[in-house]
Order: sequence, then C-alpha cells, then structure tokens
Amino acid sequence: MRDDSLHEPQFALHVEDLTVTYGADPALWDIDLDIPPGVMAAIVGPNGSGKSTLLKTALGLVRPVAGHVRFLGRPVRQMRGQIGYVPQRHSVDWDFPTTARDVVEMGLYGKIGWFRRPNAADRARALDALRELGMQDYADRQISQLSGGQQQRVFIARALVQDAPILILDEPMAGVDAATEAVIIDLLHRLRAQGRTIIVVHHDLTTVQSYFDWLVMMNVRIIAQGPVAETYTPENLRATYGRQLAMIASGAATETGADTGTDTGTGTQK
Amino acid sequence: MTALLSSNIVQTVLFGAALLGAISGMLGAFAVLRQQSLLGDALSHAALPGVCLGFLVAGGRDLGSVLAGAFFTGALAALIMQLIVRRTTLKTDAALGIVLSVFFAVGVVALTYIQGQGGAASAGLMTFLFGQAAAILRSDLWIMGAGGLAALALVLALWKEFKLVSFDADFARAQGLPVTWIEGALTVMVAFAIVIGLQLVGVVLMVALLIAPAAAARQWTRALGSMVVLSAAFGATAGALGALISASARGLATGPVVVLIATAFVLISMLVAPRRGLIWQALAARAMRARISEGRVLTALQDLAKAHDDTAYKAERGMLNTALGAAPHAMRIQALERRGLIQQVTHPPETTPHWELTKAGHAEARALSGTRTDAGKDTP
Repeated sequence: MRDDSLHEPQFALHVEDLTVTYGADPALWDIDLDIPPGVMAAIVGPNGSGKSTLLKTALGLVRPVAGHVRFLGRPVRQMRGQIGYVPQRHSVDWDFPTTARDVVEMGLYGKIGWFRRPNAADRARALDALRELGMQDYADRQISQLSGGQQQRVFIARALVQDAPILILDEPMAGVDAATEAVIIDLLHRLRAQGRTIIVVHHDLTTVQSYFDWLVMMNVRIIAQGPVAETYTPENLRATYGRQLAMIASGAATETGADTGTDTGTGTQK
Repeated sequence: MTALLSSNIVQTVLFGAALLGAISGMLGAFAVLRQQSLLGDALSHAALPGVCLGFLVAGGRDLGSVLAGAFFTGALAALIMQLIVRRTTLKTDAALGIVLSVFFAVGVVALTYIQGQGGAASAGLMTFLFGQAAAILRSDLWIMGAGGLAALALVLALWKEFKLVSFDADFARAQGLPVTWIEGALTVMVAFAIVIGLQLVGVVLMVALLIAPAAAARQWTRALGSMVVLSAAFGATAGALGALISASARGLATGPVVVLIATAFVLISMLVAPRRGLIWQALAARAMRARISEGRVLTALQDLAKAHDDTAYKAERGMLNTALGAAPHAMRIQALERRGLIQQVTHPPETTPHWELTKAGHAEARALSGTRTDAGKDTP
C-alpha cells in the first residue's frame, strides 16, 4: 500500500531525528533540518562532519538507524527523477571508456526506462545540457582527457539534464579552477531563479555569503540553519569549527580570538 | 594441422575454449571496469570445495552436479565476503583474501580426502585445479552455448543499466535503479563464466581469463561497446589458440597456455596501443620535448633580435648556446630549418654559420611567447 499522505510538504527537504552510524560512532546525530523551496542552500562543516553522509542518507544511498527524510513531503523513493544529484567528482573512475555526452545521457537513463536506448531527442538534450556549461565542444571527448574542472562540468550537466526541481551537489567547487567555479555558480543562480531548490555541500567559507542565501552549519549534529544573513555569525562558526577556526570572511569579521591560520577546509570530504 | 582440426575432440576443445574465452571476455570487461577483478579470483578459488561437494553428492564426476556445487560455494563465498565487509571493520581486500584462502584450503583438503578414498574417477578431480581441455564433451558445448547466449541477451537488454552501474553506482541508485539487483546480475554472470571455465582453465588461473582480455581491450577502445566486443574477441582468440597449441603438443595443459596467450595480448596492448600504449606515449613525450626545445631556440633568437633592434639579426651558434644556457641539439636546428622557421645565413667577415628567424619564425616565436603567460589555463 502506497502512503500518499504528505508530511511537511512546505519544505523542499525535511529531515527529522536522523541518525547514521558507521561502526559504533555516529556519523550523523539527531539531525533536524528544513530547507524551504526555491533557496540556494550551503551545507558547511569541518572535514568528517557528515556533510556527504547527510546528502547520501537523504538520497537513500545510506540507510539511517533512525529518523526520516522527506522531499516536498514525500519519501525519496517517490521522488526519483525529481532530484538531480552531483556526487563528488572523485567518487568515480574517470578512465571509464566513454565520452562526455554519454555521461550526460546517463542522467536520462531513469526516465528512458528499461530495455530502451537513448534516442535522438535524448542525445539533443544531453548536448543542450553540455552547452549550458560551456562544454558543447567537448561532447565527444573521452572523459579521461578532460581536466578536473571539465569533469565537474560534465557531472553537473548530467544532473541538469534531469530537469529536476531539486538539485543536490556534493562539493562541486572542490579542486576546480576559478573560471569553472564562475560558470557553475552562474548556472546555479539561474536555476534558483527558475524556482528550483539547490542544496550544495560547500567547503569554502569565504564565498558562502556571496553565493548562497540559505545556510546549514553542521558537525555531526546541526549547529545552525537559516538565512545566511542570520546564520553566518562568529558564534555559529566557532561552534561548528571549534578551535580550527580563525579569521573567516569579512561579514563575520568581529571574530577576535583568531590565533590559528585560516582553515577554509579545502580538503575533500570522506 | 588439417588432420588436427578434423579430429572431433580437437574441434570440441577448440570451440569450447573459444566460447569460454568470448563469454569471460565479455563479462570480464564489466568486472574490470567495476574494479572487481579480484572478486572473480575469490569466486573461482571458492568453487573448488563445491566441485568436491558435487563429486561426493553425485558419487562420481557428473558435470552437472560438479558445476552446481561450484556455483553454490562460489555464491556462498560472495555472501560471506559481503557480510565481512558490512559487519566488521575489515576492508574488501582483506575479506577477499580471507575467503579466497579459506575456501581454497577447504577445497584442497576435500580433494585430497576424496583421492585417499580411491576410485578411478577421483583422479579426474585434479584437472579442476589447472584445467584439462580434453575433458570437455560435445554435450558440454550446448550448456556453454546456451549460457553464453543468455548472458549476451542479458547484457544487450540491460546495456545502459550495466553501463551506468559500472560507472557510477551511487548515481544509478539515486535515480531509483535497483542497483543491488543489477550488480547481483553482473556478479552471477561472472560466477557463471567461472564455473563453465573451471574444467578448461581450472580454479587457480580462471581469473586471468576474466581480466586479461578486458585489460587488453581497454587499451584500444574509446567506448564501452567496442571494449566489450574486443574483449570477447581477445578471449575467444586466446582460448582457440591455446586449445590448438596444447592439442598439437602433448602434455601442455590447456588452461595455462590459454592464460599465457591472453597475457601476451595484454603485454602487446600495453606497449603498442595508440594513445594509451607505452611506446605511443614515449614517442609523444619525445615529440613534445623536441617541440619545447625548438620553441626555446625560436624565442632566444627573437630575444636576440629584440636586443639588437634588428629583426634580421644573425646569431652564431655560440651566441645561441649562451643565450639558452645549453646547446640545442643539431637535430633541433635542422628541424626548425625544415619547418621554414629559421634559415642559415652567412655573416661576413665571420666564417661560421649564422641563423636568423624567417617571417614565419617571427610569427611562431610571438605566438609562443604569447601563450607562455596563460600556462595556468585549464587544459588537461
């Protein structure tokens, strides 16, 4: 029996009492999280704070020991195809024998259905998605011959082609050059303007205020969440990053106990 | 050779080996891309106790029960490996190592036990260790053929699902694909290839027939489709050649010969394949080095011309060497002359050869010094 009743449908993402453990230690502890639709939200926290685990659990890739997740009021299995996902770039082997266009087409496999192959329309949509990211000239390039930034753009194009109302990205700006970062942010802002909800695991605190309008700060548990203007405070930063934190960006510059070097957490999550 | 080929037994062996090579080549391509080559090794070693079990249950060397036993213990081993990875802190490689050796040890103990009991048929069990092509019967070909066709049909029907799961299983799962079942289907098919390969190649070397054709094929191709096809072709060729060689020289075990041929394919592919081959890469690196040192000669000539405010400045070899801090090889100078970028001129009263930039040379030098500044550009 399918349960059609909606639970908290006013939120693009609603997470309640979520706990995930790897072995004995909790990776996520009692997470309560609500992200309203139409925002561009950053999830920040130190390495090992469970940001990626939170995304994976929300998407149903990791099984929680407690709690539940709803997208627009529905469990994730009823939302397949309506959530675009961009995993960390290093989660796959880029020596796989295939082209950029082919990878983007993979974003349509769920919609194409069983026993059928992508048709001309699907191929055209893949090319359109690549064009959005300025990658149309690389459509037939082997993915192993793309640079890191280009690979990241292909990954985002693969999620874009799904035309999903909710987009979830895991460290899309990690290890990409400034030009690619600008292209990605520009695209994400345009998608937000179309009313889509964008949720990004982000590592660079210096750009939180300029890129995002919603902020979730976490370290195994949720520290703070809300509009960036209210959430990005020295107290919250200190609570999230503890002693690792020194001076961060200008907006929270009232931080005075700065005695360590700036750590914007450029390392990758896992 | 014709006499050899007309023999019924040789035909059977040849066809069987080629069929097995094609099947394991096709499925091995997916195993290699999913970075699960060693799972194949564990599965094949774990098949040995199953072979003995099947022998004991059937009371003889009945192929059906032997293969069923192999399939059973192989699956059991895969299951235990998954349990170990999930329930303990051991990583996959350690789980593989433990399961592989324990199952193989049990298999060898069972094997020696059965042989200790005596009986004429028990001797045949040893062939499962390293394989024996002559043991293949014509009726076995039907089983292999039907299984191979079934595997091919499944690969064609689930092509895009297999591709996506092999490339990015998490993304496939996020799209709602039943990834566990798709991965299960791939693993079961690999187990099937191993089981039918047991009597030909043996449990110890079977994994090579999965990995080697795929590894060789990867060197030559740029798409999954051509990689799978080529891998199957390499496997079939290795199987057929190995069967022929071992049939023509008595006493050569088929399995190891097949594996050696497949590995030779890998070696050749690693060396000579375009783009990915070591020789190609070495040549490309050499060409790149040559281009760089030629470029340095050009920019040095350009700098000298600028310093003397004379676009037709004629530089002596010693001048060039000093400007560069090292003497460029004469071949580089000749190559630049061939490319029409510099020309050798005389500069009386000096008698030594001098060089000056041609018009094209000036343009090239300008282009080179222009690209220097954006070396940090985002290119692979």
